[in-house]
Amino acid sequence: MTSKERVAAALNHRPPDRVPIDFGSTTVTGIHVSCVAALREHYGLERRPVYVHEPSQMLGRLDEDLKQAMGVDVNGVFRRKTMFGFSCENWKLWRTPQGLEVLVPGAFETTTGDNGDIYIYPEGDLHAPPSARMPAEGYFFDAIMRQEPIVEEQLNPEDNLEEFQPIADADVASLKAEVEAAAAGGRAVVATFGGTAFGDIALVPAPFLKHPKGIRDIAEWYMSLSSRRDYVHAIFARQCETGIANLAKIHAAVGDLVDALFICGTDFGTQSGTFCSVNTFRDLWLPYYRHVNRWVHANTSWKTFKHSCGSVDRFIPSFIEAGFDILNPVQCSAANMDASHLKADYGDRIVFWGGGVDTQKVLPFGTPGEVRRQVLERCRIFSAGGGFVFNTIHNVQARTPVENIVAMIEAVHEFNGVAVHA
Amino acid sequence: MPELRELYDAILNGDHKTSAAVTREAIDAGIEPMELVSGYMVPAMDEVGKRFECEDYFIPELLLSARAMKAALELLRPLLAASGAKSAGRVVIGTVKGDLHDIGKNIVGAMLEGGGFEVIDLGADVAPQKFIAAIKERNPQLICLSALLTVTMPSMKTTIEAFKEAGVRDGVKVIVGGAPVTAEFAREIGADGFGENATAAVALARQLLQAA
Ligand code: B12
Repeated sequence: MTSKERVAAALNHRPPDRVPIDFGSTTVTGIHVSCVAALREHYGLERRPVYVHEPSQMLGRLDEDLKQAMGVDVNGVFRRKTMFGFSCENWKLWRTPQGLEVLVPGAFETTTGDNGDIYIYPEGDLHAPPSARMPAEGYFFDAIMRQEPIVEEQLNPEDNLEEFQPIADADVASLKAEVEAAAAGGRAVVATFGGTAFGDIALVPAPFLKHPKGIRDIAEWYMSLSSRRDYVHAIFARQCETGIANLAKIHAAVGDLVDALFICGTDFGTQSGTFCSVNTFRDLWLPYYRHVNRWVHANTSWKTFKHSCGSVDRFIPSFIEAGFDILNPVQCSAANMDASHLKADYGDRIVFWGGGVDTQKVLPFGTPGEVRRQVLERCRIFSAGGGFVFNTIHNVQARTPVENIVAMIEAVHEFNGVAVHA
Repeated sequence: MPELRELYDAILNGDHKTSAAVTREAIDAGIEPMELVSGYMVPAMDEVGKRFECEDYFIPELLLSARAMKAALELLRPLLAASGAKSAGRVVIGTVKGDLHDIGKNIVGAMLEGGGFEVIDLGADVAPQKFIAAIKERNPQLICLSALLTVTMPSMKTTIEAFKEAGVRDGVKVIVGGAPVTAEFAREIGADGFGENATAAVALARQLLQAA
């Protein structure tokens, strides 16, 4: 099987020849730039700075040579604008607080505060207020809350829709070029076209906008789910309409070269429970998700991908009902998220993309032997009958020992009965 | 005479406008601030905590109630200070260095405030030095450390060690919490306690400060 066929089999709940592997195809299945650099060194690849393709979490780009060394089956396509509103172009060198030289987009403009904190600016505009901050010895950026005072009577859903506009033809053209390039290598393609993330808390503060309006503070947003539900419905409804219109335009250009579409990264789970009730989910999100998923399934061959951290066991039936094909990151370390239970109860109806190894304890702090054992066990549980794409539970975090990452990859290959790469 | 039960209801229902309005009326009517706090606000937040635990309330409702409680507390604070009323204890809270998750920390802070404690919130990504400065300047009895990233959990240990080095560890109780934190980890790093959630944090704070 080619990588594409392998992923297709898994996504259609047919047993593939081996467990397909994803690293780097989305901004929630990636690897911190420092670990990408360490992996390049481990595999003896050309020594050169790694590209930071997602500057807020500082995710490193996995280039062809590394993907081959790791045996990755998936390529990612990303929207043109990053979290800070600039595109990945005009690369330049930048030194991380830990002294690693990396490549960042040209508009990655920063200033340093008195205490050494690093500030970054939307669209690289140093005249706008900074939209995120990396602590002096930090590894990634966090959004700065830029909430204008709220005057209840003047709140207008339009204010929260600035980032959800009809896609420009130039952006469609660039996505088309990217999708074609991604599909050319024989790997499966996961695309993040944007526009269908409903209330993703990482996007609400809008670090990509210079002067965000509406509700942009995280706590204020969560409260609005209960106290301003009509307002949130109005945002979601408009977003849904524009999002589907954009998908139609994009689909007309890229066709069925895409295997899976990243729809939404809104987290519904915490370590021990959920952010809202199942009823709230069904009132506020399910109708819009269903709309988007129905459109995709009626008009394309794409599978739809939902990311939600935490203990979402009780939400999975509703995710399935909403038409999602794929769930990520399958946080088995959260309450009621035991791998065997998930596979037995939902495995025939939803694909688990992730869950391959715990990133809270085992991968960063375990021994290579512990990593191997858990990976083998998870592959055994999740891969039966297809319906599984291997990935860690969320991005591989900075300071994760490279021996552990390698032990993880080798364990997947061992499970697959594939000779381990040099 | 204001209907004080409305204060309880306003907090429970997360209605900060009514909560402030009733409090203002009560102040004008000369009602003792402490009566409002212990008679209505603390019981309301207790009930909020219970509803959160049995999943009748979720994060949005909890944040709304916390805001309503704070709206009342803000008005009462100067009066409480002037009357020399004693809080249940003074608490310094923060998310440790390197970690910016603060939703859980804010909820714990609010529930402690709702439980009658005086809470000084240092925010997120708080360096040990900042905690130490707050201990020296503000004289708290309890320090609450929150962490959501396993990679920042070691910062909890570093923080407690820095307290020892600075000679301030013995004067305070330290409790820890956050998604990946366990009771075992708390013991390992020499904390005085661990709380699974915000209600547990309040119970633990009461227990530790009573014993002290
Ligand atoms: C919401 C969220 C975010 C938001 C945070 C917004 C904010 N301002 O806080 C955003 C999107 C910005 C974010 C960013 C990131 N996140 Co995050 N995030 C979460 C998520 C989904 C929920 C956390 C939460 O708010 N829970 C709700 C609150 C109420 O629960 P709580 O914090 O646990 O608090 C309760 C108790 O623990 C307790 N408690 C808390 N503190 C204290 C303190 C004391 C003293 C006591 C007694 C009790 C106590 O009481 C609280 C109330 O009951 C978790 C998933 C999870 N499993 O937890 C991931 C998670 C914590 N994030 C994770 C990661 C990796 C990140 C990022 C690095 C991005 C990335 N994915 O690569 C960044 C880094 C941010 C940073 N610098 O710290 C990982 C951590 C993995 C690890 N190795 O530890 C998790 C587990 C997701 C995952 N599946 O891997 N995140």
